[in-house]
Amino acid sequence: MSRLLHDMNPSVKFIIVTVSMLTMAFFFNPWTPLLFWVGILALQFTMSRINWKLWALMMLPFTLGAVGYLWTTLVFGADSGGEVIGSFAGIEVTDEQWAHAWSLTFRVMAFSTLSLLFAFTTNPVTFVMSLMQQLKVPPKIAYGTMVGYQFLPVLKDELTQIRQAQRLRGVSQDRHWWQRVAGTRRLLIPMLAGAVRKAERAAFAMEARGFTGERRKEFYRPVRVSGRDYVLAGVFLAVLAVSCAAGLIMGK
Amino acid sequence: MHEHVISLADVSFRFPDDPENTLNGLTFEIQRGERVVISGPSGCGKSTLLYLLNRLYPLNCDGIDEGDIHLFGKSADDYRPGEINRRIATVFQDPDSQFCMTTVEEELAFTLENLRVPRADVERRIVDVLDQTGLANFRQSVIQSLSGGQKQRVATACALISEPEILLLDEPLAHLDPLTARNFVQWLDGLQRQTGLTVVAVEHRLDLWERFFEREIVLGLDGQMIADHPSDSKAPVAFPQSATGMTGRPALSVTELSVEISGKQLLAPLSFDVEEGEIAVIAGPNGSGKSTLAKALCGIYKHSGTVRSPGTGYVPQSPEFLFLTNSVADELAFSGLATTETLNDLAERLMLTPIWDAHPFSVSHGQKRRIAIGTMLADNRPVIIMDEPTSGQDTAGLQELFSLINERSREGITFLIITHDMEFAAAVADSILLINDGRLTGKFRAEDVWADPSLLDEHHLLPPRGADRREPTFA
Repeated sequence: MSRLLHDMNPSVKFIIVTVSMLTMAFFFNPWTPLLFWVGILALQFTMSRINWKLWALMMLPFTLGAVGYLWTTLVFGADSGGEVIGSFAGIEVTDEQWAHAWSLTFRVMAFSTLSLLFAFTTNPVTFVMSLMQQLKVPPKIAYGTMVGYQFLPVLKDELTQIRQAQRLRGVSQDRHWWQRVAGTRRLLIPMLAGAVRKAERAAFAMEARGFTGERRKEFYRPVRVSGRDYVLAGVFLAVLAVSCAAGLIMGK
Repeated sequence: MHEHVISLADVSFRFPDDPENTLNGLTFEIQRGERVVISGPSGCGKSTLLYLLNRLYPLNCDGIDEGDIHLFGKSADDYRPGEINRRIATVFQDPDSQFCMTTVEEELAFTLENLRVPRADVERRIVDVLDQTGLANFRQSVIQSLSGGQKQRVATACALISEPEILLLDEPLAHLDPLTARNFVQWLDGLQRQTGLTVVAVEHRLDLWERFFEREIVLGLDGQMIADHPSDSKAPVAFPQSATGMTGRPALSVTELSVEISGKQLLAPLSFDVEEGEIAVIAGPNGSGKSTLAKALCGIYKHSGTVRSPGTGYVPQSPEFLFLTNSVADELAFSGLATTETLNDLAERLMLTPIWDAHPFSVSHGQKRRIAIGTMLADNRPVIIMDEPTSGQDTAGLQELFSLINERSREGITFLIITHDMEFAAAVADSILLINDGRLTGKFRAEDVWADPSLLDEHHLLPPRGADRREPTFA
């Protein structure tokens, strides 16, 4: 297995993913999303090295959602006419409902697989650098995001500390999710109070090192777009086009 | 050659929201190659002065400045944004919030990109600065994985890579332990000799710098210059001498305590006893298990073995982590365990009455610490563990901490204090628990530890410099 997807330019990858999702939104037959989903899986399987166990775990909630879509569309979907093809526990399902339900289900699967493909094969640092270099995102935003990214482990550590300290004060661990949501306020205020101070210091440190937010002409680590990226983009678009065409033909 | 690189003529500065000036009529010159320290109590405007020199102020705070600042013979206002940062570089105090990239190399390149150094030159300058600072082996290191002292060296390298003429330091030792701090100062000393840089630092704990500085500019609380004289080696912070509060009754008794988290043994079985009113300092190298011990004792971590205690409380390095409510009064009453009389008594003793209705986040650091101790006492936890309370404290802060602990100890409260600061330990401790590599080396009398250089060395500690000097001064 190669690492082609990992080495692909993140901005090109990002554009392809966005274009694919927008295109999918216009197809309501079950075949287009199904074929595209299978296509994406095949690409990811042959062109990336990822932890499939983790991948399967991340897919789990999306799969449950997809099944939910299938069920609710079949049971509660508006009656848009068409031939009744079967009935179950007094619910009649028409062929159009059947097609819509599967279309939605596969769409959820295709979208989530595509998002995970991007997330699993893209280094966040390279992505931000590429956004700045290829898509002309202002350096202020790009480097600001980078600082935030560096802070994540520090904040996670602080959150643990705060949680431990508060438990000592007699705040019991909340059993239900709504209690936990209500309890985040208590955790977030001490953390954010510290984060605001840290953010100001980081901004000062950057400015003191000559950062003015002006666009740069040269980069130490240029993220380039190469011929390979165009070929990969072509492959994705081909998969997309074939699924669209096949869906139109088979959906007739 | 006496060339003035910095010259100030009657400089005053005021924040837009303040009625009073933060800095008042400052006039002085700094020559090329000088080592100058700006000292003064917290809040005297030393950092503000530094930010005026590297031009972070007045633009970043819309401050109002008067008088003339000349940098390299040119008026400071005539420099374009970012232009002066080529020649004046700054190192800040917090090692955790002055980096924006992942690795050392990328971080160095970030400075060079900002300064628009041509690509052909970048590689040479990175190699040069890494050699010069002795960080060549760290080129590909992930910054967040480095220790505090290493991060400060990287921050200095990032400042030096712009090949500046002046290096500004904003309390660079504040977050380092004394041994790391001493090594940093020695390293900086070599670097300055080699480059002939002008060094201007803001610092309140001059004792750690020994003989590094040639000249000291002292600011008073109203932002006026009260002295400008050759710097001499400083005596450490002075603490009053006081009798122990030990009562002889047992308070905390630990037998065969060990901690294992996800299959890894963090603390090997250890036993010790602490008396009521005793102040025990827990010391040892970073990562040796001091915080783990503290958290196990107060019940945050699960442990095996037995801990007998009338109730153990914990005050983290940031006391605000404990706060749950919107007023100091609610904070102390939170658990509902203390009666109104107890609460009033605590408010009185801990001097919380003036801030009784204030929001616990809006008071000073020293007051936050008092509130934290108050909450622990209100919850019937008369054994209190404090995690690194000395870190980042100035003289006044340390003295306040000293009297807070000392007074409570005489009321029968038992303290376990994690600190690297042996000056402070020498003043406050009845006994010292030394920890190394997850093992308790032993519980010692404080005097015995200072007398044993190999024991100190093994636990990365510096002997208190006042150990022999304090006696005659306070006898």
